[in-house]
Amino acid sequence: MKLLQAVTTGLKKGSKTTLKLAKITVPIYIVVKILELTPIFPMLGRGFSPFMGLFNLPGEAALPIMLGNFINIYAGLGALSALNLTGPQITTISVILSFSHTMFVETAVIKGAKVNVFKMVMLRIVGAIVFGILVGQTIGR
Amino acid sequence: MDIVINILTGALMSVINMAKIVIPVMVALELAKKFNILDKLARGLKPITNFFGMERKSGLLLMIGLIFGLAYGAGAILQYVEEGEVNKRDLVLLMAFLSLCHAVPEDTLLFVNAGGKGVVILGSRILAAALVTYIMSKKIKTEEQAAQWA
Repeated sequence: MKLLQAVTTGLKKGSKTTLKLAKITVPIYIVVKILELTPIFPMLGRGFSPFMGLFNLPGEAALPIMLGNFINIYAGLGALSALNLTGPQITTISVILSFSHTMFVETAVIKGAKVNVFKMVMLRIVGAIVFGILVGQTIGR
Repeated sequence: MDIVINILTGALMSVINMAKIVIPVMVALELAKKFNILDKLARGLKPITNFFGMERKSGLLLMIGLIFGLAYGAGAILQYVEEGEVNKRDLVLLMAFLSLCHAVPEDTLLFVNAGGKGVVILGSRILAAALVTYIMSKKIKTEEQAAQWA
């Protein structure tokens, strides 16, 4: 009985969460796909390519990284799946995003726990940059 | 027209891909809650809490963060903090570790599903979190030193 109850609650919560997340990923996926068809897209790519080059990534990789940080990991994934990237590039972006994502929500939790927010955010950003470069310049080729 | 259909199928696929991870993870989390698996797993973290010189009961908080993550685990984490269950030093070390590495099952699977290499993603996070927390555990010895991180 306990088992069945846990499974049904889990299924319900999982479906609800998926729906909630779909409302984020679907619009982002569509916007990124449409953006790809416009001249804005290559401009954006060129603008970010010097910085993204550090990680051996094309300029447009800045899109999932920014969305993942400012909105959440699912927004980042929506943009990530809309772009045409190679496996190694996806691994590098994943490493960067796994360190730093959903900054506003997660930072609120750190603040709630009364630990220095600035220091924790710096840890995450430095972690993302250091491991992004390490992975991007080795496996991410 | 083809482009519209392509975009919509792509969007739908990205939702299905997410559902494949999110729904099973949620079921597993519910099971873990119902059967107090977290408590049992937290006991297994003893070598880790010892390594960082943390109290044993801080292991449960570490386990909650590692499994549920900062957003889903927020309720439990903040409740612990408010009840004064963890000392300041442990809290700072825990938050440093969890800032770099949390929601391990869900995050890792989502990125693997998107085409990333799981070993590299998880390995980087664990390595960074362990290294940073170890250095901090050597630097922060007293509650006063820990207060500088608040």
